[in-house]
Amino acid sequence: MPLRPARAGRVGVIRAPVAKTAVVAKAVTPGRAPVAKTAVVAAAVTPRVGRRRI
Amino acid sequence: MIMTSVSLDELGPVDYVVVEFPAGASNFTGEMVTELRALVDSGTIRVIDVLILTKDADGTVEATELSDVAELGDLETIEAELAELLAADDVDNLAAAMEPGSTAGVLIWENLWAAPFASAARRAGGQLIADGRIPIQAIIASIEADEATATTGD
Repeated sequence: MPLRPARAGRVGVIRAPVAKTAVVAKAVTPGRAPVAKTAVVAAAVTPRVGRRRI
Repeated sequence: MIMTSVSLDELGPVDYVVVEFPAGASNFTGEMVTELRALVDSGTIRVIDVLILTKDADGTVEATELSDVAELGDLETIEAELAELLAADDVDNLAAAMEPGSTAGVLIWENLWAAPFASAARRAGGQLIADGRIPIQAIIASIEADEATATTGD
């Protein structure tokens, strides 16, 4: 089906071809979550008192 | 809320995703619509535009308006408020990452939750000079690198 006429002849907002993002593809892949890595990542983004970067 | 009623100063960041469903791999139960509806109803996001793209085996791309989908269900009210931000010229760029034979949904939304903070930052004299996402894979790689360093003692 054709796009609505209002979309024709306008300057686009997506300026360049979109590259495939592996992260998104994996995030929506059906199946069990990678539990081990999920736990590790969760720990990495959990607030830590006195956490030091170096 | 319609696009024209939104002051530029009050506009939240606008994001997009292209979610691909490889041929034969789609399993639509309505769960996606329910979750999207919940985000809209809670005022977390405002859906600005939606397109459905199909890429044939020969790479030909066809775009479908949400309004052309039969039985929209909970998407009806969302469809009624779309702003049609995307131009026809955007379709090929959005479809560039799609595999031949696949279908993809393109969703563009305003992050309403971020708008008040962004406005406050602007009023304070701040200007956005960078933004982005940190892929989960990057966090995992960082953690694994830390663990490797701890193991080797480097």
